[in-house]
Amino acid sequence: MTETKQRNIYEKVSKEEVEETLIAIFGSESVTKKAVDLYPYSYDMTECEAHMPDFIVLPENVDQLVKLVNFCNTNALPIVPYISGNNVGGLTIPENGGIIVDFGKKMNMILHVNENMMYALLEPGVTFGQLQKHLEENYPHLRYSYPFAPPYAGVVGNAILSGMNNMSCKLGSMGDSINGLEVITADGTIARIGSCFYGEDKSDKDSWWSRYPMPDLMGLFINWQGMTGLVTKCAVQLWPNPPIKKTYLAVVFGLTDIAAVMREVGRTEVVDDISAVSIEVIKMTVELPEPIKKEGEPDFAALFPISAKTENQMRAKKEILDLTINKLKDQGIKVILADVDEFSKLFNLRVRCYLDLPAALLSLVEYSGLTWFGSYAPTHKIEELIPKVNALFLKYKLPPFIYMKIMKYSHYGIFRPIIRYKKFQEDEKVHKLLTEITEVCIKEGCIPYKTPVWMTEKMRKHINPGWLKLFEKVKKCMDPNNIFNPGRWNT
Amino acid sequence: MVEVDNSLLGKEFLEMAFDRCIKCSTCKYGYKNFEKICPSGEKFLFESYWASGRIRIIRGVLSGDLEWSDDLKDPIFACTTCGACMDSCQAPHADYIVDMIEALRELAVRHIGPADKQEFLVSRCEENCNPYGKENSDNEELKKIYNLPDKAEWVYFIGCTSNYRQQSLRDATLRFLKKTGIDFTLIDEHCCTSPMIRTGQVSIVKEYMQYNIDQIQKAGAKKVITSCAGCYRTLIKDFEKFGEHYDFEVFHSLELVKQLLDEGKLKFKSSYNKTVTYHDPCHLGRHMGIYELPREIYKQIPGLHLVEMKRNRNFAWCCGAGGGVKIGYPEWSVEISRDRLAEAKETGASIVTSTCPFCKTNLSDANEKFDFEFQILDLMEILDQLDIEILN
Repeated sequence: MTETKQRNIYEKVSKEEVEETLIAIFGSESVTKKAVDLYPYSYDMTECEAHMPDFIVLPENVDQLVKLVNFCNTNALPIVPYISGNNVGGLTIPENGGIIVDFGKKMNMILHVNENMMYALLEPGVTFGQLQKHLEENYPHLRYSYPFAPPYAGVVGNAILSGMNNMSCKLGSMGDSINGLEVITADGTIARIGSCFYGEDKSDKDSWWSRYPMPDLMGLFINWQGMTGLVTKCAVQLWPNPPIKKTYLAVVFGLTDIAAVMREVGRTEVVDDISAVSIEVIKMTVELPEPIKKEGEPDFAALFPISAKTENQMRAKKEILDLTINKLKDQGIKVILADVDEFSKLFNLRVRCYLDLPAALLSLVEYSGLTWFGSYAPTHKIEELIPKVNALFLKYKLPPFIYMKIMKYSHYGIFRPIIRYKKFQEDEKVHKLLTEITEVCIKEGCIPYKTPVWMTEKMRKHINPGWLKLFEKVKKCMDPNNIFNPGRWNT
Repeated sequence: MVEVDNSLLGKEFLEMAFDRCIKCSTCKYGYKNFEKICPSGEKFLFESYWASGRIRIIRGVLSGDLEWSDDLKDPIFACTTCGACMDSCQAPHADYIVDMIEALRELAVRHIGPADKQEFLVSRCEENCNPYGKENSDNEELKKIYNLPDKAEWVYFIGCTSNYRQQSLRDATLRFLKKTGIDFTLIDEHCCTSPMIRTGQVSIVKEYMQYNIDQIQKAGAKKVITSCAGCYRTLIKDFEKFGEHYDFEVFHSLELVKQLLDEGKLKFKSSYNKTVTYHDPCHLGRHMGIYELPREIYKQIPGLHLVEMKRNRNFAWCCGAGGGVKIGYPEWSVEISRDRLAEAKETGASIVTSTCPFCKTNLSDANEKFDFEFQILDLMEILDQLDIEILN
């Protein structure tokens, strides 16, 4: 059985009393302490160390959660938020045991869609698949953005952890598209942040339209990995859903030339998203389990989804894209642009999983483990990052799996080496590789997100002391008894 | 890698649990339609009650992280093994999820025994060769009534549910087969072993399979027909899985109906002027991939108006009877059927039809318990109500 690091969390209250209280709050059918029920919550798809929680609770409303937070704060009991469980980075692994709050099962309502100001107000358990279905059926003229993640990844979790999406070249991080949050802080206070902050008791459902201009308290919760409070509602921006969509595929020869291609195409401001993967990943997608790049083959492929309101607008955008690609060719970069629909018909229809998001990406679900170094990256360093990380994959005899994005029209990038592996058999080897990748990438200025605890430990050595001091102060102030996801960021 | 006991029939599927499943949750809801599809997960909610949770439990018990106790029984046995998770999952192990769950059950039975009351499925078989505890019928009486020979080209494998619970379906099938004029007979059946395999109680499975093969061969049959989706799945898939091979062909009764229609040999002389909705049995649909065949038959019946429930075909909501749930969790089992009938109500149909006696049993129980006022009929029973002509 996996053991938690600290087993002395029941100093102030016995485990039996905790169970009684939880049952009183949530009802007996929504509380479990059986090992068989706890076990699936003890680890995630990555190589992060497993830890057993002590209880799982299934909340259905905010009142229950306020009672839980008050009780846990009084008794210094850890609370770990959980949505659909397809996490990376050990984000929901209870480092110190305690109570996992599974939002995914009962707090999963789409509370409101405001068509006029284009936002959706969500409970934490709402998934991408659910939101897409809701919009398609009820608001087909609106769209949200979807990551390369399974359909049942949680929208709110991804947004407040600054995940990315298939409109990231336009929009940047999903965290930037949050209009408002409702949170429960350590003292049991319910706070509404954003334009929804008017109103003493409850908010007007149509008041969740802006994050600014008041002091941005949202920063106290975004990217904090559940360390400062429980998010119980989140308003995310929606966008018009243009009727015309096309995706182009750029195949790039030369290990590092993809960087220039991504940057230049990003700056055109005509593509919704840019995501590039090593050629080995394309081969994985077409069912080659452990592919090897052969001489003469391209090194990277990038997808450029484009949307337009009219055919003329689409033609104009395509013209700009063509001009940019031709300019790159003139500079000596070997790049081929293809219509991905035609490519997938010719090559393998499995490639379509990348186009029809949210979807299970077939190359990611083949083994029992999946881990990554997911990072925000300075785009001028991509040329240095690719060969270094590529070499590390080869050193460990694994096919390079590098996934990159360009965010906000090339303001910054995403650099994400991914490792598929057999959990329980290859954890150690994979962790060694990931450690080496982490060291190289941090040195080049990459900033990991959805970060595992062992990785934040490495980051701390590079972060300026002032930041760390401020960070610790804020954490202490927000969570004096360290009840919210303790252990994250080495707290 | 953990060592798995070689004597376990499901060994390869237990090993698979270590190499597959990242717990992406795609198994939880209908892929791309995002509908609820998992009766077990929707009822009990905790991760241990969804397919990916059960795969984790395999890892837990084999690695020693989880100790065997009665606490494991519900997460392991409270699942209808309907296979909806298999259709949603996009990973390479998708087709084997039910095999993994059944292998976990086989392992669990060794350590903590079966779920409450499921042991009767075996003990009753040991006494009477059927899981209902009814005195075994050698079917000689039926052979006399229907004037059937001892040896024939076809054997109608009635199945325990039709023979001991849904005799109207059995009799409708017998009458239909007589009308077709095919050369068929009955055998002294043992349970097809489906209930035992589904609940991990595999001690007498191979013996029963061999017995049934012997009986069919003694009857000189080259073809076996059954009107039970569970028997059909077991005879085709599980016999092979358990290494029991035979040289006869196996058909579901609807395959014969469709063949006769296609050949122009089956003519309807009367109409069935009712609105009907079809419930896909898990063992025929998701487990065997038969979705369109029954629909093509219903659509050819004059007057019959076929309407679809919201969740149909590979993402149809299970009736709740399978996987040992009917006997192990009887109240919940009928609740699952209640949800299915509520969905049927939305279609405006007055008849809920299926092609499985077990589905018929559970849907009928919910129909009665929750006052839905449907007629629950098998395809063969609908055909039995029609004036049909079969050209030989």
